[in-house]
Amino acid sequence: MENTKISSIQLFLLNIGFLYGSTVILSPAISARNDAWLAVILGGLGGALLVWMYASIALLNPTKTLVGILKDRFGKYIGTLIAILYIWYFIHLASLVFRNFGEFIATVTFPETPMVVVIAIFAALVLYGVNSGIEVMSRLSELFVPFIPVTALITSLSLITTRDITAFLPLLEDGLAPVLNAALGFVTFPFGETIVFLMVFPHLNKKENLKKITAFSVIVFIVLSLLIFFRCITVLGQDLLYRAAFSPHLTALLIPGANVEPLIDINLLIGGGIKISICIYAAAKALSQVFGIGDYRKLVTAVTTFSVVLSVWVYENQLEMFEWAQKVWPYYSIPFQVVIPFILIILSLKKGKIMTGNY
Amino acid sequence: MVIVLIVFAILGFYDLSGFIKRREPAKVIVIYTFFMSVSLVVSLLLTADKRPSSPAEWIEWMLKMIGVVK
Repeated sequence: MENTKISSIQLFLLNIGFLYGSTVILSPAISARNDAWLAVILGGLGGALLVWMYASIALLNPTKTLVGILKDRFGKYIGTLIAILYIWYFIHLASLVFRNFGEFIATVTFPETPMVVVIAIFAALVLYGVNSGIEVMSRLSELFVPFIPVTALITSLSLITTRDITAFLPLLEDGLAPVLNAALGFVTFPFGETIVFLMVFPHLNKKENLKKITAFSVIVFIVLSLLIFFRCITVLGQDLLYRAAFSPHLTALLIPGANVEPLIDINLLIGGGIKISICIYAAAKALSQVFGIGDYRKLVTAVTTFSVVLSVWVYENQLEMFEWAQKVWPYYSIPFQVVIPFILIILSLKKGKIMTGNY
Repeated sequence: MVIVLIVFAILGFYDLSGFIKRREPAKVIVIYTFFMSVSLVVSLLLTADKRPSSPAEWIEWMLKMIGVVK
């Protein structure tokens, strides 16, 4: 394994950037309409449990990445097979974020530019970042991620005069079912996706801080999501919020006397960039570990190129992208995000008990 | 179509010549070639407007078969 270390604050910011990722343009809990804030809180609690589980797996296997843990717990052959499935999952996730980014930029910022050009230019930046290593990616997050809450605050405060603060009422008009559905969606996107961090956690210099860092990043992200939801719904109203493809962008357009729309693009560049970089890093690293290749950098170009092509191939249009993300993604993700990690933690605890003689 | 081929040719030749110079193990070249050739084939089909069914459709089909998604 590379001998690079990242600090607690760097991991915290990487986590925030990853969680924020494409959430800035796709509001995962919005299917609950005006009760989305309840879905954010419920989903956030579920997400916190998931992230806690990932941190526990990492702490029970402190020097191993996800591939090492899978091989240890499931045996060489089954472990390798599951690791290959995870490599696919990470590449798929990277391509979905590429597509989200491309759709957003090609729709609202550069409508004349072909989407594939936007994605390819972004991919070149990501390629450079991932080839530079996890340390450089962490330092970049230290530099850029603090902009995210600052811009969220700026846009929220700029719209303070144009709000209807009762827009999120009445509560639970359609019952609890849409809220629970939206909460499930919010658990799998983005919290469950942090399973990819099992490839990064071994680089943390102070492992004892891991649970604190992850818990704190989840809390900050939930607060940020609530802030963004209340900003958007009080400005747009529930009907427009539900219909808008990119609601934070639309909200930013309504700020009187100022054009702060690029702030949303910058947020997406930062969050999406971190999310894609981490996914490609994890995929290339897992691939190198599965096939016994010393340096993951040899495979980064190939993995990034495939992700770019996959991002164009995977959906025919924007509507399909939104529908798939809402209807299929949560169920497709459950084995990767919940089932396998749950088995891993049970096996790790069992192994830990055997090692300490308490079994 | 020509642009796609040129981009892949540049990427492939640049990386593969580096691999050969550094005498990388065959598995590196095999994995690299696999990903690049799949990407090339898919992008050529997309450019030619003959989009093959995508992994998203396969996944949805599988989940429908199991009965998870309606």
